[in-house]
Amino acid sequence: MSTLVEPVIRTVKLCKTYRSGFRMKRVQALSDLELDVGKGETFGFVGPNGAGKTTFIKILIGLTSPTSGEVRVLGKSPRDAQVKTKIGFLPESPYFYEYLTPSEFLHLSARLSGIPGQDVEVRVRYLLKLVRMEDAAHAQMRGFSRGMLQRIGIAQALVNDPELVILDEPMGGLDPVGRKELRDIIIGLRERGKTVFFSTHILSDVEMICDRVGIVIRGRLVNTGRLSEILTEEVESVEITVKGLTGKFRKVLEKVTQQSIRSGDSLFLTVRNEEEVERVMAIVREARAKISALVPRRKTLEDYFMARIREAERK
Amino acid sequence: MFGRISGIARNTFREAIRDKVLLILLVFAIVVMGSAKVIQPLALGEESKVIKDLGLGAITFFCVLIAVLVGGRLVYKEMEKRTIYIMLAKPVRRWEFILGKYLGLMAVLFVSMLIMTAGFYIILLVSGIPASAYLLWSLLMTAFELAILTAVAILFSSFVPPIASAVFTFAVYFIGHLTRDLRLLAAMSPSAVVKGISEFLYYVLPNLSNFNIKGEVVHDVLLNPQALALSALYALVYTATLLLISVAIFRRKDF
Repeated sequence: MSTLVEPVIRTVKLCKTYRSGFRMKRVQALSDLELDVGKGETFGFVGPNGAGKTTFIKILIGLTSPTSGEVRVLGKSPRDAQVKTKIGFLPESPYFYEYLTPSEFLHLSARLSGIPGQDVEVRVRYLLKLVRMEDAAHAQMRGFSRGMLQRIGIAQALVNDPELVILDEPMGGLDPVGRKELRDIIIGLRERGKTVFFSTHILSDVEMICDRVGIVIRGRLVNTGRLSEILTEEVESVEITVKGLTGKFRKVLEKVTQQSIRSGDSLFLTVRNEEEVERVMAIVREARAKISALVPRRKTLEDYFMARIREAERK
Repeated sequence: MFGRISGIARNTFREAIRDKVLLILLVFAIVVMGSAKVIQPLALGEESKVIKDLGLGAITFFCVLIAVLVGGRLVYKEMEKRTIYIMLAKPVRRWEFILGKYLGLMAVLFVSMLIMTAGFYIILLVSGIPASAYLLWSLLMTAFELAILTAVAILFSSFVPPIASAVFTFAVYFIGHLTRDLRLLAAMSPSAVVKGISEFLYYVLPNLSNFNIKGEVVHDVLLNPQALALSALYALVYTATLLLISVAIFRRKDF
């Protein structure tokens, strides 16, 4: 990454320890975390539960101070109020003032963000439309579902048209339609040159929308990179579905393949390379059976992620 | 800055007036003041003083209850429900948040006091008792006392749960009305420890008995304007100090 332009997010040797429980045991939430996120990037911060994702985000927002190390957001300390005028933030499982209506809450958010009075109404209406909450705009948020609250949370995070949007588990509580809409919102932000940093453990979302990912396990950033670098195009395995096999040939096929599962008259096989595919095809031809599906399987983020977790556990 | 502080204050006000607790307390206060009519026959010719005394006492008591019960959970609830994450992620400085919360609750108390005072004067009129404006001096001093008590509640609310905060604030309120006795205890006690603790509490806790001038106004005793001005100044300085301590605690807090 270029050093001429300061990244939107920069952390250097960031550590956070806190004391927890009755015996005030020291817990190392983050260890020497170094990360740069550049302008206009959509960055996915991936890790299992308890990996330190939320702690890291709280430091980026200025809600928590690091024990040691440095953190700069838009070139300044995250506690700087000026910086916050350019940031939008959605916490995990957000909870709002239940006695307010979405419209009132967004008005309050706009006011606190310093949006000029004459622009507030237009902005609030635009956001309610964006997150499809126009119909519930004037009902108290008491009794709203988690998905509805999440939508309001997204709207308030965008109230100041921020340069940097930080979302903690934004897909949580959303139904498939809501997730698709949020992905579209994030893609829209990227197209407008905004920087989006979000944490998640839903890997399919990351694969669909992120430019880069960082994988955090037990407070350590184990890898960062472009998805295309992490996930090679190389075929990992091929899944073949064969129909109409007789007992003898089925047994032969089960012996030559890595994995096989029977279901009715279908046999699902997994093979490692083209050579094995050829061998299976030859046997199928000889048995006068049919190949109903042949799917090459590339390495997924999930495979990569699981491998890193296994590595971390071995250490 | 003013926009943000007033935004938080208005939100605090809105939260309180949409809460049933406040409505229940206000209804109760009016009922208690009205009940003076019931005990009128027992007052043996002193009904005017009894009704005035009970009315002023009820207004103070219910305002103190509101300050303690609403104030005690004001900041803690924001931390517990994590609404504070959203507030502090906006360009709101932590001191602005505390001041906004404080002013919001003071506005709640002001409006509550206004409603209760209106109820009180209506009861006086209905009872045929001259509704003298002189009584308002007592309520003005109660307002200064509430300014201190609300700051105490906010201070506790920034680091202890609501129930503990309410208990501590009540304790400060009660001991605050006994500070003269504390000094007496310090002077009379042979034990150095008791002397030390009493002296310490006398100087640290607010002297709230100065704000109680109900007896004087009910009995039409001439008030000392200098003493009142001094009490008001004391309330302002004490409140400002408590708010500064709350801000100092709140600024260092990790969420």
